[in-house]
Amino acid sequence: MQPILSVHNLNKYYGNQVGCKNMNLTLYPGEVVGVVGESGSGKTTFINSISGNLIPDSGKILIETGNETIDFLEISESLKRLLIRTELAFVHQNPRDGLRLDVSAGGNISERLMSIGQRNYGNIRQTIFKWLDKVEIDKSRVDDFPRTFSGGMLQRLQIAKNLVTSPKIIFMDEPTGGLDVSVQAKILDLLRKLVRELNLSVVIVSHDLAVIRLLADKIIVMKNGEAVESGLCDQVLDDPQHSYTQLLVSSVLQV
Amino acid sequence: MNNVLKFKNNKTDVAAQDEIYNFAYLDENTKRMIRRALIKALCIPGYQVPFSSREMPMPYGWGTGGVQVTSSCLTTDDVIKVIDQGADDTTNAVSIRNFFKKTANIETTEKTSQASIIQTRHRIPEEKLKEKQILVYQVPIPEPLAFLEPRYQETKKMHALSEYGIMHVKLYEDITKNGHIETAYAYPVKTNDRYIMDPSPIPKFDNPKMNNNPAIQLFGAGREQRIYAIPPYTEVTSLDFEDYPFDPSKAPHKCSICGSNESFLDEIITDDDGNRSFICSDTNYCNQRMENN
Repeated sequence: MQPILSVHNLNKYYGNQVGCKNMNLTLYPGEVVGVVGESGSGKTTFINSISGNLIPDSGKILIETGNETIDFLEISESLKRLLIRTELAFVHQNPRDGLRLDVSAGGNISERLMSIGQRNYGNIRQTIFKWLDKVEIDKSRVDDFPRTFSGGMLQRLQIAKNLVTSPKIIFMDEPTGGLDVSVQAKILDLLRKLVRELNLSVVIVSHDLAVIRLLADKIIVMKNGEAVESGLCDQVLDDPQHSYTQLLVSSVLQV
Repeated sequence: MNNVLKFKNNKTDVAAQDEIYNFAYLDENTKRMIRRALIKALCIPGYQVPFSSREMPMPYGWGTGGVQVTSSCLTTDDVIKVIDQGADDTTNAVSIRNFFKKTANIETTEKTSQASIIQTRHRIPEEKLKEKQILVYQVPIPEPLAFLEPRYQETKKMHALSEYGIMHVKLYEDITKNGHIETAYAYPVKTNDRYIMDPSPIPKFDNPKMNNNPAIQLFGAGREQRIYAIPPYTEVTSLDFEDYPFDPSKAPHKCSICGSNESFLDEIITDDDGNRSFICSDTNYCNQRMENN
């Protein structure tokens, strides 16, 4: 099987400051890769660099679309932006960054549909209802503005907005950050369900090992902009080799 | 240039003109710069060409863009008509007409068919335009995406890459809120199957008239410093949904002066009891019908 996304020797510097260094990643269809590490370890720089939000200094990013392999850093900006709004999706930590707050919930979900040329109001409306149902938002809220939504609902709306065009690769930056524990659990539950149901390929960044353990198949542990350890999720978390990973695993609160 | 020379050599005209003005107010270099922008705009229908708008002797919002475009197109043989919301006799129309009378000393008319250049604020004349006529629109905000995407740099990218999904989000929101597309003026159009364009705040009733029009249509936005254009016989389509097609719509009344069923109407409140009547917004169209009857 071909990996759907592969990253080779990716580097991103901010002046002399290391953003991330020598990063590699292989993502197969239907797989979830988690990236963990403390604040400032370069997780967000890494996910922004591979999703088109930042331009890395060097390295290679290959995306397999089914028909061809696309060199993500070499393609024209128009193709890149087309990919970003069709094949790729990005779920921000703060849902307000990924939503239009002065457009209704349904309007937010419909934007990607209309940008790929759907022009039938009735069909668009149907798809919106289907997705509200999937992310467990009450249908009666379809015409309400996001600013009237709770934090958890906003995050679910952002997920629906991103998944509506069935993107091949989904990037998530701390999707449960800033939510209280019960809402976190609900979002995680939803994400796990969607990942299995829709066979999504996901790169997820989190500082929360519990989130990664629940969702990810593989894991990359980052420190000071570099990957210090990577492998199967259970293997790395149950038998950490690198001292930093050991510290990370042992510092999880045991309740 | 030839026309200008001809004008300058014509002694009687010069005498009639207030001599401190160059022909049609703007200096020749400025007109040349604007003509270049106009030619570019005509080559790329619907694309907004930046130009260095001049300070005009009237405030922004009074048609400084349109006046600069008209001034750059004028020759001494031109006959100019100016309308404001369809009317020849409102303040804006009268003052701009007088402006060109004074600075260019050219013939003016109220008859659509006799004008070679028509400068308009917010209407397209009811009478069909012909080849060799120029319609100049006054545009307040040329960017159709302005209210949806506040970053100008980003809107430029969206135009360049035809990323127009968000334009339909606006129409979607309209239908969701009101059950139909509520936008009644400045209704967005797609020009030559490429650029989405703001037709200036004309009623959507006038949108179909832009399509395949034999006349040249020029748009000038003075404050925003943009010029765009529709060449003759160009396809202009109004955005819509398959199941909510574009509807030009019209008040279900007749003009109470000329009785026309086809023209765009102004609603006028006639007394303190709230009685109202409807009359043609295009005064020339209405007058012509009355004369013919």
